[in-house]
Amino acid sequence: MFGNKKNNNQGGSQNPNDPNFNSGRGGNNPSNTSGGGLVTTPPDVKQNLDDAESSYKSSGYNEARYSLQQAMLGVELEIGNQILKSLPETVTGLKKDTEADQVASMGWGWSGLMIQRDYTDGKDKMFGITIANNAVWLSAVNMYLSGGYGQTTGGDQNWKQIKVKGYRAIIEYDDSSGYKVSVPIGQSSLIVYEGVNFASEQEMMTASNVIDIDSIKTKLGEQ
Amino acid sequence: MKKLFIPIFILATAVSYGQEFEKNLTTARSAYNSGNLNDARFAMEQMLRDLDMAIGKEILKILPTKLGDRNFNEKDDNVTGSAMGVGSGLFVHRSYGEAAKSGDIEIINNSPMITSINAILALPFVGNSSDGSQKVVKVQGYKAVLNRNENSETGKAGYSLQVPLNNTLVVFNLLEASESEITQLANSIPLSKIQQMAQ
Repeated sequence: MFGNKKNNNQGGSQNPNDPNFNSGRGGNNPSNTSGGGLVTTPPDVKQNLDDAESSYKSSGYNEARYSLQQAMLGVELEIGNQILKSLPETVTGLKKDTEADQVASMGWGWSGLMIQRDYTDGKDKMFGITIANNAVWLSAVNMYLSGGYGQTTGGDQNWKQIKVKGYRAIIEYDDSSGYKVSVPIGQSSLIVYEGVNFASEQEMMTASNVIDIDSIKTKLGEQ
Repeated sequence: MKKLFIPIFILATAVSYGQEFEKNLTTARSAYNSGNLNDARFAMEQMLRDLDMAIGKEILKILPTKLGDRNFNEKDDNVTGSAMGVGSGLFVHRSYGEAAKSGDIEIINNSPMITSINAILALPFVGNSSDGSQKVVKVQGYKAVLNRNENSETGKAGYSLQVPLNNTLVVFNLLEASESEITQLANSIPLSKIQQMAQ
């Protein structure tokens, strides 16, 4: 009965943490063709605070911590959604792609909050915004800004320092991915604008200047 | 008099942590209800810190007070709770013995070291070094990495045992010890309880 079982795992990863995870069950196992996905309602902040309080009072500290993390996750997702709502409907003629809107949080302080919004012309032109708090990215950008890295006038200069709405930033260009503008804000946040199929640096800067950085900074609680 | 003073001090500390938690909870609730999400988040971060402190103090209660002939140094007991940054969360430290013949136990939540230790444990041929300075061992059923460090001046060996428990890392260091001594003493660390409490 099991003699024909084959391993159809080619192309999939066997690491459970990998997005392409494939457990290796193959052969005659049925494929999933229906199902409603996961419910994406953010955690109920008030309920989780109540749970945290009752667990704390009964000395269930790790349960209290779990509930508290869920409450923080709920608050961070709300903040992310508020920021998404505050972003403009269009940027230099490109319309927002609501389906691409994304807010992700780890529920651990700001260490994992990420907000994404894309604007497109429905063809091949795209302006993407990513608002993130990620120490790894931030240190790389700050190294460019404060590490005494110079700018060359000849050769293949593919990045330089600029200012966006008064904030020090880095603009980069790559033939395959287009323009990228990285703006560190406050103590630990970073805004990245990506422009695909933008004709010039000037066009990219015009689009980048549409976004109200001060408003995002205030909503993130950054100084 | 001194005997009476210590329990009163511990009780007062516990009450103050409890009060901080309650105070921050009130702030978080009122800030959230009035739509001030950043203040609510900040108050919750403080609560996480309060909880980590409470958990750390509970863990200190179950750590051994003596490791072989090394007594613990009560004054060095340290618990830190932090809601932000790398290695965020709980940090518990207890030291034993003195100077060259000392040791310590550390419990660290979300340590950046955990990934590399798990990688060593997953690949046995990487885990055991040919010079005998590193090997994979089992302590109370948990896989762990044991490192041997020789003091270049005295020539005496010390050991460091790292046990990853999901997102918690337990580190046990012992100076001037033998391999059998550290693995035997490691059995007095209640790993399963620590795992339960720190998660």
